Amino acid sequence: MKNSRLHSPWTPWLFLAPFLLSFGAFFAWPAIRSLMLSFEQTFGPKTTAFVGLTNFRYMLHDPFFWTAVGNTVVFTLAAVLVQVPVALALALLLNRSDLRGRRVFRMIFFAPSIVGVAFVAIIYSLILEKRTGFINGSLHSLFPAWDPDFPWLEHYVMPSLILAQAWLSAGFYMVYFLAALQHVPGELVDAAEIDGAGPWQRFRHVTLPEIRPVLNLILLLVVVGSLQIFELPYLLYNETNGNGPENKALSIVTYLYQTGFRSGDLGYASAIGWLLTLVLVGFALVQRRLTQKEEL
Amino acid sequence: MLKMFSPGLWLVLLLAAGSTVLIALLPVRQQAGMEMWLFDANHAKIANLIATDWNRDHPKNPVQIHLITGAAIQSRMMSGFYSDTPVADLIEVERGMIGQVFAGPLADVGFMDLTNRLNREGLRTGINEPSFSPWTSRGHIFGLPHDVHPVMLLYRADLVAAAHIDMSTIETWDDYFRIMRPLMVDLDGDGRVDRFLLNASPTSIYYHEVMLLQAGGRMFDDQNHPTINEPLNAAIIARLATWYVGPNHVASEVPLGGASSMRLIREGYVVGMLAPDWFAGGIRSGLPDMAGKFKVMPLPAWEKGGRRTSVLGGTMLGITKASRTPEAAWAFAKALYLSPLTAERLYDEARIVNPIKANWNQPFYDVPDPYFCGQPIGRLYIQLAPDVPLRPSSAFYGQASQVMNLAIIQLCQYADDHQLYDAHALEPEAQRLLDGAQRELQAQMDRNVFLRATR
Repeated sequence: MKNSRLHSPWTPWLFLAPFLLSFGAFFAWPAIRSLMLSFEQTFGPKTTAFVGLTNFRYMLHDPFFWTAVGNTVVFTLAAVLVQVPVALALALLLNRSDLRGRRVFRMIFFAPSIVGVAFVAIIYSLILEKRTGFINGSLHSLFPAWDPDFPWLEHYVMPSLILAQAWLSAGFYMVYFLAALQHVPGELVDAAEIDGAGPWQRFRHVTLPEIRPVLNLILLLVVVGSLQIFELPYLLYNETNGNGPENKALSIVTYLYQTGFRSGDLGYASAIGWLLTLVLVGFALVQRRLTQKEEL
Repeated sequence: MLKMFSPGLWLVLLLAAGSTVLIALLPVRQQAGMEMWLFDANHAKIANLIATDWNRDHPKNPVQIHLITGAAIQSRMMSGFYSDTPVADLIEVERGMIGQVFAGPLADVGFMDLTNRLNREGLRTGINEPSFSPWTSRGHIFGLPHDVHPVMLLYRADLVAAAHIDMSTIETWDDYFRIMRPLMVDLDGDGRVDRFLLNASPTSIYYHEVMLLQAGGRMFDDQNHPTINEPLNAAIIARLATWYVGPNHVASEVPLGGASSMRLIREGYVVGMLAPDWFAGGIRSGLPDMAGKFKVMPLPAWEKGGRRTSVLGGTMLGITKASRTPEAAWAFAKALYLSPLTAERLYDEARIVNPIKANWNQPFYDVPDPYFCGQPIGRLYIQLAPDVPLRPSSAFYGQASQVMNLAIIQLCQYADDHQLYDAHALEPEAQRLLDGAQRELQAQMDRNVFLRATR
């Protein structure tokens, strides 16, 4: 009797209902609505005008959009090249059994992830400020010829963002790597060492293949997170609404936010959002295909 | 069925269902009276004072004052205008927020059109005319102006006196930079200048507009068509570039607000600052121990006989179309903004000059202020009020500021790259950059189908 009830045709739907409801309400419907909006121009959601492909056509010639795309791509590439090696290096360092104070170091490296982006951005901008900032103050004290008014944040917009993001995230990804490194079988490393493999060869041929699934995951997280960068430039360059000098900090999501929520043009913002979605899905598919090849 | 879920899960489900039903059945409490949102603590103090009297006299239509951050006001206000979510009856709006309100069809502006009321009640002529400009869209006024915000030059009187400089002979910016030049000194012996003559830099987006408007430049014409690439604008930014870069640059930036800004001002990093009335009030309350070290003077003109002031910032009080009691809201708005008591408290708290011309005769504006070396700064600002330039109200004001700012940054870069620090020599490049800026802005504006219909 009990069994037949559990196997009623409605049972799976009952279990699926919470997911389907929330998926429909918070993902499927907004996605469909935003696709519709991308063919409209809006002043908020009430006042709309159908404009066909105008938003997409305008996007092709919109210099702000392409500046945002260029900045975001550069940031993403740099994030991969900086955050992943730094996180892996920190993890390798902390994985050494002979390192004293490992817990303290782990906490120090992970701390920026706990305090969050707002705190990191504020501290970072205070450190790099002209004249009153720690870096300029220290350099001027050590080398009197150093210009205390050196505008770090204005001259080095992209490096500033990349470093701040690395400071924020490297510790977080380090924890993933650390967990993966702790599962690398010790006997494999020992065997390689007995066979005469040096530290680099052991890392290259034993450790790296063992942690590759985690490395792939982190690459995906870094790329997806970087393509969606918003809070950091918005906070660091708040005076220019996150654009930075010469729009050098303008990211795709910042532009989407400004268009949709500052100008009220949800239509154009939706078009930008859909393009970003396509890029993200494309990257995820490529990454998945490459990963599957490696696994085979 | 009962045994499909554990008792704990049933409990959670029951609690969720129960609380949902409870919330659904709760009666929606109708807010009695009116609500007002504002973003400034000083404004809130004064509004509360006026509201106390109002609530005593109008028990059926009391007003509640809510102090909310500017960003939150903007989000809630625009959500209300876009989607009919609840908004206050009265909202104080800062200039940077208003462009978004005017970006759609005129009928969709969420504030009541006050033009006829102002004309009918004779208020239009009683209020400083330039103060209406940011709150006027397509010929309709949507708010009562809160202020005038003339800009003067706030300078370190102690440093000037120590250098025996006579400020009375300064009439133009050229005079100012020439006469004040001895103050640009290396204080710590490292061979670099540690004191500059003006607080501005290529990235000072706010100050560029101050200078542009003072010099007679503009980003939009009376019909809100973009005028970024007018030759006068090119001449102005070419001159600004020579102040910002090069071996003889005279300006450097002090950020607008914040602890490090106060520290730099205290240390005398800049001798002169572009100071609207609210900025002078902010210095007075932020650096109370610096009393007697500052003075104000009209801005040096760009050319002899030119305008001696400009404008920066601005706030209005609007009545939302969602208000259930618009007449009461209008009455309260007038009680708050037209009252001599408000004018006095506003000046007392923040040194802000009221835009109601009838209040300008109040004696408190003439009281010497010991903080500013005994100058009656209220009177000095009022003297400049009628000459304050008009500010644009275009929905594209923010974008225009951005493209203009970008052109200035690029011009400074060009000057450095070519070691070219002469304003006349920089003008062709300035014009080229502004032509590009104009094209970009025009393309953005042309895309807006709602405003295109009214252009």
